[in-house]
Amino acid sequence: MIAPEYVATLDPFVAEAKKLVETSPPLDSMPQEIVDRAIARAKWSSKDMVVEPDAEAIRADVLSFYLMCQGVAAVSYPYSREARLISDATKETIKYRMYDLFKRGHEDSCLDVIKRSLKLVQLEGSDGVKLGGIEIPREDIYKIRDRRLAQDGIETIDDRLLPQYLPRYGVRWTDLAPLLRHRRAELTKLYLVNGRAVITPRDLWDLFSDFIAVRTDEYVASVYERFSDIGAPSNRLAEVGEHISSLLPSELELRERFTRMPRGKLRPEFFPPCVKIAMGGVGSGVRNYAITVLLTSFLSYARASPSGRAATRIGDFIRDISVVQDEIAAPIFEAAERCKPPFFKDQPQEKANIYYHLGFGMTTEPRPEESGKSKWYRVPNCSKIQMSAPPLCDPDELCRKIKNPLTYYFRRLSEHARSGVGG
Amino acid sequence: MEMREASLDERRQFYSEEWNKRELPDFILHTLSLREFGFDLDGTGPSHRYNQFMTVEQLAEYVKNRAPYSAFTSVALYEQPSMRKGWMKSELAFDIDAKDLPLKSCSCTSGRVCELCIDEARRIAMEFAETMSKDLGLHNINFVYSGRGFHIRVIDDAIMTLEQTERAQIVEYITGSVIPTDVTMALGYSQVFRERLARTFEGMDEQRLSKIRRFRRSVIQKLMVEKERALGAIRRGKLDELSELEGIGPKTFRQLLEFLVRLNSEFTDGKVTIDTKRILRLPSSLHSGVSMKCMLVRDIGRFKLEDAVPKFVHERGH
Repeated sequence: MIAPEYVATLDPFVAEAKKLVETSPPLDSMPQEIVDRAIARAKWSSKDMVVEPDAEAIRADVLSFYLMCQGVAAVSYPYSREARLISDATKETIKYRMYDLFKRGHEDSCLDVIKRSLKLVQLEGSDGVKLGGIEIPREDIYKIRDRRLAQDGIETIDDRLLPQYLPRYGVRWTDLAPLLRHRRAELTKLYLVNGRAVITPRDLWDLFSDFIAVRTDEYVASVYERFSDIGAPSNRLAEVGEHISSLLPSELELRERFTRMPRGKLRPEFFPPCVKIAMGGVGSGVRNYAITVLLTSFLSYARASPSGRAATRIGDFIRDISVVQDEIAAPIFEAAERCKPPFFKDQPQEKANIYYHLGFGMTTEPRPEESGKSKWYRVPNCSKIQMSAPPLCDPDELCRKIKNPLTYYFRRLSEHARSGVGG
Repeated sequence: MEMREASLDERRQFYSEEWNKRELPDFILHTLSLREFGFDLDGTGPSHRYNQFMTVEQLAEYVKNRAPYSAFTSVALYEQPSMRKGWMKSELAFDIDAKDLPLKSCSCTSGRVCELCIDEARRIAMEFAETMSKDLGLHNINFVYSGRGFHIRVIDDAIMTLEQTERAQIVEYITGSVIPTDVTMALGYSQVFRERLARTFEGMDEQRLSKIRRFRRSVIQKLMVEKERALGAIRRGKLDELSELEGIGPKTFRQLLEFLVRLNSEFTDGKVTIDTKRILRLPSSLHSGVSMKCMLVRDIGRFKLEDAVPKFVHERGH
């Protein structure tokens, strides 16, 4: 039997883990060893992933997880490369811990944690295998096994490993919706019978660890949104985030490696409804908010996608001033022109105010060296938009799941990238 | 059966004499006030959107007074349907339109339907529903005859909150439009894929196969001669036997497979399933384009087109 608190190391989002965080000092005042662990876990090898079953080790593990997430949210954006790095690392960590526990005979403890998120049943029968009364042909059972072995590149297998490759559970496919949504699972690749996917222990570790990875992505997005509300994150969090970010190859290096990588052009088809409304031009009551507050911050953050350090100056992320003028300011000015009446016609000083909100001070001729002269305003959260400019808010289903227009955009981009559709 | 457009008088007659609120399915009746209603009042398209009815009597009054050319209701439930705001959940809907079936055994011209292709749409709807039940474990599946085909409207709680990406994956699964890694398994997607592939291949003739780019005539003829053998191979999951037919190498086989899979995906309009804010024809209403009743079908296996013929059609010519 393992300690009940140990569940927090398999699922950092369970109540036990949250309680640990709540009863600890604030994350930005953590001792250095927790900070080091938060940074290191983004690049752990399997031997680092196992946590000793004592209260202090469990606590350090949970706190470092949250510090890692908050650090990334402090220096990047939802579904950024940094966010992907830590969600993938978390996936590997959880998967290895599951494997380790199964190996040591603690399958039941693992299943207890998993069952909190996924409705799981054991396949019935020792002779023929049944699921919900339906007999699964023996041949199919072996094919599922062989498919999984091939997936892991295993040609010969010993008796110790074999049980990990034999179908043993049925998981409700609708519980896997978050994985389907992010294309971490594909319905046509699951063996579905009567509403459940027939899976091996290996599949189960994959699915559950993917599940936690998706929740990690969502948590980073929610922290990012919180920072949009309360202002700049603390230096300590930014420091952790910068360290994690430095583990990634630079954008430039990546582009050289993958010449087809998108260069960060804006994709209006993924804009949230409020931004689309603002882009179309609005009436006199909400013009100022739509253009100066929402569009200016949204288009600049979406285009710059600031990562690697806390976003204070647009110039740290966009060196070429023509990008600011042509890809950020130009569509803002066009939207302003579409307002009724046109925004700059009766308020020409607002043109300079746009650059002021981008951080270039009051000017109509921004220069790279002037970036940081004024504050680069963050994108307001949905609740603020609703309050300040209700006509802009026409939420769709995704809006209900996010709290900031940028999260909407980056999530749609990420889903699109995962779907493998080009263009 | 002649399917011609209903006149304004016929629409009025239908809504004043024949339309009955009892023909509204329970799944709509019980959520009436949460749905958006849309109407096409004159045959130019459903431009009257954002309607909400708090009671069925209000709806009855509206349709009796306006005798709409077409009436629609959303698959989505909203907190404020009249503003399409506060999305709560959406049915999982499939639209199988007889006029758009990629393979038909009738000779209907484009945009037209007949009893034969409507029956083909019915069989497709039954296939889809069977997979949803057997594989996806969905049980609250409703069939609606739409006038030109069938709608499947699934209201199991477990799928109502799914988003577009998940719904797109369901379409792929149900239609068999993804080539699986293993086509030989007895159950699961492997079986679905084989069945859909066999059904589509069965509908192939020389003319249809000639639509595959750079497909040689001799290959087409070979496939037609060996059609039964090829069908058997598909049903058994022995697809490699197809590529062993004379003149059909791996590349040609791949081209054929991709062509069939693309056709598989066209048996339903995937955009309808993915769109969680779609409006669909209201069961109980009149499809004026073909003078047929859009109606809930309780037993799809025994559906007869005559059940959907409004009285005024019988009275025509008297």
